[in-house]
Amino acid sequence: MEFNSILFVLFFSTFFFLYWFVFNKNLKTQNLLILAGSYLFYACSDWRLLSLLIISSFINYQLGKKIAATDDEKQKGLLTTLGVTFGVGLLFYFKYLNFFIDSFSKLIASFGIHTSTHSLNIILPLGLSFYTFKTISYLLDVNSEKIKPIKDWVVFFNYVSFFPTMIAGPIDRATSFAPQLEKARVFNYENATTGLRQILWGFFKKLVIADNCVEITNNLFDNYLKLPGSSLVLGAFIYIVEIYADFSGYSDMAIGFSRLIGFNVTKNFNFPFFSQNTSEFWRRWHISLTSWMTEYVYTPLTFAFRSWGKSGLLLAIVINFVLVGLWHGASLNFILFGFLHGCYFIPLVINGTVNKNPANTTDNFFSNLKRFINRSGTFILVMLTAMILRANSITEAFHYYIKIFSKSLFSIPVLPTQNPKSDLAIIFFIFIMFILEWFGRHTDFALEKLGSKWPKIIRWGVYIIFVLVIFIFMAKPQQFVYAQF
Amino acid sequence: MEENQIIERLEKIFSSVFGKESIVLTRTTSAGDIAEWNSLNHMILISEVETAFNLKFKLKELNKMQHVGDLIDLIISKSIV
Repeated sequence: MEFNSILFVLFFSTFFFLYWFVFNKNLKTQNLLILAGSYLFYACSDWRLLSLLIISSFINYQLGKKIAATDDEKQKGLLTTLGVTFGVGLLFYFKYLNFFIDSFSKLIASFGIHTSTHSLNIILPLGLSFYTFKTISYLLDVNSEKIKPIKDWVVFFNYVSFFPTMIAGPIDRATSFAPQLEKARVFNYENATTGLRQILWGFFKKLVIADNCVEITNNLFDNYLKLPGSSLVLGAFIYIVEIYADFSGYSDMAIGFSRLIGFNVTKNFNFPFFSQNTSEFWRRWHISLTSWMTEYVYTPLTFAFRSWGKSGLLLAIVINFVLVGLWHGASLNFILFGFLHGCYFIPLVINGTVNKNPANTTDNFFSNLKRFINRSGTFILVMLTAMILRANSITEAFHYYIKIFSKSLFSIPVLPTQNPKSDLAIIFFIFIMFILEWFGRHTDFALEKLGSKWPKIIRWGVYIIFVLVIFIFMAKPQQFVYAQF
Repeated sequence: MEENQIIERLEKIFSSVFGKESIVLTRTTSAGDIAEWNSLNHMILISEVETAFNLKFKLKELNKMQHVGDLIDLIISKSIV
């Protein structure tokens, strides 16, 4: 069941009514309703593997209690290792086993040894990477005494399977999310209308921009051999916009639906295309994953390598980013993508420019020009690297780059399309998205404060225009890209 | 070692790691107060502190650290041992 389906509209309307008008008297029954809703939501998408979600929740719930109950540091460590191994084991089996079997077969075949291994028929459970990361961080936080174990099983099971964020995040931590389940939620009109604006913005990005971009990029990359380098650059631009609009659109919807039922979910994107270097980009893109990886992978690695100075730091960064790449999927393309992003930190670390806030204080022509150059350079780097994710193989990705860095880069780009008018409209909407995001970059999402000082009638007029644009221009629904991760 | 002396030494280390002429630290100073202090160079700072005070931290101890005051307390407790 996806957010942009009629089934979800029916599901959420019924849920919303029951949540605020029938089950609002008692916290426990309201939490049970969330759990029932979450399992129904999951079962509609993937009923076969609902049991895995429940078993995983049960095991981690018990482990959390046992880790906190013991004073023996060794036993604490053992139980935590058991839980983390269970989570990583699930990911390995469902997500990576076939990749390793295939890679191993290819490797030994290169030495002339041919085996009869074949890929296993394994279904990837929906949202596995997201809910497993939640359970792993929970156990590590209980072990390091950052949080106390969750005693109420309904609260814990809800933390793992909260339906707005279960399929594609954001990956909330128990430290911020569990307390919200433990106290009564009160309907807040302001928060709910902000949620609705965020859902509207998410739908616009997903249905109008991302889904329409899919067709354009498919046409472009499927015919790349016949096209000039300039077309591939245009394709790369549309592809990075597609990924961003798809995933940030989903996150906006997830956060918006959560707001409607009184929850504040962690922010996942902070206008990443306006970053001045790749370090800043990763602080603004898929924030819940990067902060997770920073805390549970990068920090222990830098701790282990701390006596090696900058070399240790760089090694930790590269390993961390290779794992970020691998988290997205089991292929060499993802590994190369992560490796390159890790390498982009090398000049930043060597020059000591990995700052939280690149100098933004002065406001004159030259500093503005410098910021513009930094932003454009970062965007181009991120855009060209993302092409690796679009390619069917690393060889194909290299062919893209060979095409791009050829004389044909300076020719007029051609779009292999059947509907040029529609493509122009999409490019116009991409332009609108960039403009609104630029002016709204100091808020949570582009529409949050848009027109907050305008007369109500004009503001509502703008919302209605967005709704009409969505209905007129929405493309054939495509699966959320990040749901497959 | 007195707390003042520790702060003085820490200020020198912080200035050197973050490339600033001088940094004034208090017990409540945290990563949020120093723009250059981020997850990427945090461990370089920790390594320098370990070398300067001739001690070793555990990751679990560092995970609990919120402010410079926590770091000072940790240095004092490790120095006593």
